[in-house]
Amino acid sequence: MMLKYIIIALVIISPFFFTGLINKVKAIWAGRKGSPVLQPYFDFVRLIQKGEVISKTTSFIFQISPSINIASSLFALMLIPLPFLGSVISFKGDFILFSYTLAFSKFLMILAALDTGSSFEGIGASREVTYSTIVETAFFIIMGSLALLTNQISFSSIFALLNMSTGYTILIKILLVISLFIMVLVEGSRIPIDDPNTHLELTMIHEVMILDYSGTDLAFILYSTALKMVIVSMLIANLLVPLYLTVPISLILFAFILILIFMIIGLIESLIARLRISHVPQFIFFMTAFSLIAFAIIAFFLRAGVQFSGKGL
Amino acid sequence: MTAILIGVILFLIGGIISIFFGEKLKKIVFLSFAAVAQFFILPQSFNILLNGGQTEAKFILSDPLGACSFRLDPLASLFVIIISTGSLLCAIYSGSYMKMYSYKKISLSTYYFFLGILSVSMLLVVIVQNALVFLIVWELMSISSFFLVIFENDKPEVLKSGLYYLISMQVGVAFLIAGFAWVSASSGSLDFNSFHSVLSNSNSFSNLIVAFFLIGFGTKAGFIPMHTWLPKAHPAAPTGVSALMSGVMIKTGIYGILRIILLYGNINSTIAYSFFSISLLTAITGIANAASQKDLKKLLAYSSVENIGIIGMGIGIGMLGIVYNNSMIAMLGFLGAILHIINHFTFKSLLFYGGGIVYLNTHTRNIDKLGGLAKYLPMTSSLFLIGSLAISGLPLFSGFISELLIYLGLARSLSINNLSINIFAILGFSGLAFTGAIALLSFTKVYGIAFLGNARTQYQEKFKEKDFSLLSPMIFLAVIIIITGLFPYLTVSLLGNILKQFLPMDSLNEFLKIQLNLQILSGYILIFTSFILFFYLIRYFLLKRKRVEYFKTWDCGYQVGSSRIQYTSSSFAQPFLSLISEIVPQNINVNKEPVLFPKEASIESNSQDFFERFLIQPNLKWLRKFLDLFSWIQSGKMQQYIIYGLIFLLFILIWILGVK
Repeated sequence: MMLKYIIIALVIISPFFFTGLINKVKAIWAGRKGSPVLQPYFDFVRLIQKGEVISKTTSFIFQISPSINIASSLFALMLIPLPFLGSVISFKGDFILFSYTLAFSKFLMILAALDTGSSFEGIGASREVTYSTIVETAFFIIMGSLALLTNQISFSSIFALLNMSTGYTILIKILLVISLFIMVLVEGSRIPIDDPNTHLELTMIHEVMILDYSGTDLAFILYSTALKMVIVSMLIANLLVPLYLTVPISLILFAFILILIFMIIGLIESLIARLRISHVPQFIFFMTAFSLIAFAIIAFFLRAGVQFSGKGL
Repeated sequence: MTAILIGVILFLIGGIISIFFGEKLKKIVFLSFAAVAQFFILPQSFNILLNGGQTEAKFILSDPLGACSFRLDPLASLFVIIISTGSLLCAIYSGSYMKMYSYKKISLSTYYFFLGILSVSMLLVVIVQNALVFLIVWELMSISSFFLVIFENDKPEVLKSGLYYLISMQVGVAFLIAGFAWVSASSGSLDFNSFHSVLSNSNSFSNLIVAFFLIGFGTKAGFIPMHTWLPKAHPAAPTGVSALMSGVMIKTGIYGILRIILLYGNINSTIAYSFFSISLLTAITGIANAASQKDLKKLLAYSSVENIGIIGMGIGIGMLGIVYNNSMIAMLGFLGAILHIINHFTFKSLLFYGGGIVYLNTHTRNIDKLGGLAKYLPMTSSLFLIGSLAISGLPLFSGFISELLIYLGLARSLSINNLSINIFAILGFSGLAFTGAIALLSFTKVYGIAFLGNARTQYQEKFKEKDFSLLSPMIFLAVIIIITGLFPYLTVSLLGNILKQFLPMDSLNEFLKIQLNLQILSGYILIFTSFILFFYLIRYFLLKRKRVEYFKTWDCGYQVGSSRIQYTSSSFAQPFLSLISEIVPQNINVNKEPVLFPKEASIESNSQDFFERFLIQPNLKWLRKFLDLFSWIQSGKMQQYIIYGLIFLLFILIWILGVK
């Protein structure tokens, strides 16, 4: 039991390590030495120590949104299971609460962007909300497919039953991992959807929404964006870690997969450019497409009469 | 039962005698009657709702009506409570809101009169058990609400919308008359209880009759394709009436559907699947259109369509649970639907009342002309925010709980080993998520554009919102929303007896299980709340000793921007609308001369309702063409009418001669 909380605590302090990792990979690929992996931590500490400049146009929404954002990311983390150990909070339908908690913070971040009255932030908010309509729908298709496959309706029990590796499940896992990987890119606003390094171009989404934030609030937002990426990556790792291993090995594998995911993100950022904004929805629609294919396979698979060992209701 | 009927009569008296009082006293008279009526209606309704059982009163009326009984069972009592409190809130709110129209003395008399009639007819609709009396009060409800909708009848578009509403209602009631005529003819009685034996007699014809009932009631509720009256009637009506119609009156349609399900008894998969699919499409159509609206009230009206769709999905899952003999799924579906009825009443009324305060102060409903209202109307904007968060189904607020129950019903349908229900469940699952995401878009749009940022136009008047009669209904509703959101088991515990009507007795166990799980969920939601408070406190203490400067929004070095360069609701929704332009057709007119140097140009965009454009308008055109064939009968020429008279006299002559 203790182990679970220790690992969750490690995850809570880890997000900036992963962001630093992406930057390091990009630097090495470009032949630079790059900033240290821990640089985002130094930035965070520096931001926390600073005061703030707040726009006179804004209302209370602008000031409460970052706190709600970080609170919901951390609460969402409580719902994500670890292999063998389960999650801190688990109940039937927890993935619905997971998705709606993230939507809650999205709602307030969009309002905060509109609160500044800046047209740049309006652009970002408008795009963010458009993409979230696709991502949320696809996420529910993914979870629905997994529920159909395992007959379970909570994160922990779904992942606990995904152990079997027949030809079909491997195919399904590949499809769902790709879908969830796109979700990581959207939630973390990374290339090819969004470029976190510039924020004054008209193609920006997330970065432009937080233009007016500074100091503690900005630190909160940066942290929760990084944490959201880790959270969705943890879902991918859960799909991939086989449960016939022993606990320590599976946990090491879990961490390894997380590191791998972020290195792949770094590689993608080094290799390809951001998509044209009109192509971004099409790219995110891949998520819907892959998850629907996965659902179709599962439905066909169940039809053929092969049932998983889930005990149903 | 007597107490309820006394309450009904009090509403009626209040409506009638308010005519005879002066302008200032009218509202007080009606309000006091409505308030006294609560003391008669609420205790008994809550008693039935909490303890089950039913109470009945029977009257023998003159011949065509026969014996008419009024019955209050748990289902009816829930609606009685909603209608009664909804009417009271509307009366309180109208007290100040209708001051705006004080120049129209006569209309104000009719307003309270028809408000009384509307409340009475809605109350009677849910307790009456005689088909003919039911149809009479049902029509009375449509007509009285029609007169309320056309309150501003000096505006031609209001009159037009009102007539559209009235005609839609008549189309709906035609189906109801057909359905009731058939069942009462074959059962030989007008009493609802005798219908059960006719309807449960399963053959394909009884399916058709049930479909007639569903269409008839669905028109009132606002299911597609009969939803087009909502976005016309709600904006036309004064705000109190919009709130009452949207929050309360359309639920009588849902009541009718639930009553028919109870009477029908043996639900089959055809009805269940088609009802579920229609509901899903209703939800998506409603919210997709809401996303494209600029008119605040039109947006809220379309969002009502969406919520009716969500309620319908819950009922559909409930029916599927019964079809597949799974009482847990049926319980989750019906419970989600019934809870969503209450929730939609609270947050939709709240949002309409908030929109009314905005209209009262700015005299516009166009979101693109507003902005920055949070600074001028702080109370209204905070309450409106609560409503927006709740209607988007976000945690901490009531909308989340009912949507969660429906999601859980769908998720459990995935574990039934039957491909068709699995496919429908995944469609519903993702469809509901899609709906939720668009609701998030629509309500961030309303709140972000209208209440936040800078004012897009100069506001003419001084703002005032500190009016007890405007704010108290909203505060009351907001409290219910938050209580249901944080402690869902409190509200759900009221609903056990209604579920007993729909499900077999042995499902009580499942209800307790859901209750227990909701208590645990409530704990988690409170943990989430404490997380938020914790981080806000951290932020507070971190910033306490630091310098916090207030400066203008960063404009990227561009100093001459005006508040009009802010994002508008149209531009905010555009990226999304361009993805769904097949479902919500967009008209964009650019007026720009093709000259070398820029000249004055303008752009205008609006959206159309898919069903209005491709289903209703073409059919109306066809109907008009057909009816034009007979237009020569009414040519307007005096000579022709004289000839009609002569022909008539000639016939009479021949007839009399022939008979003799």
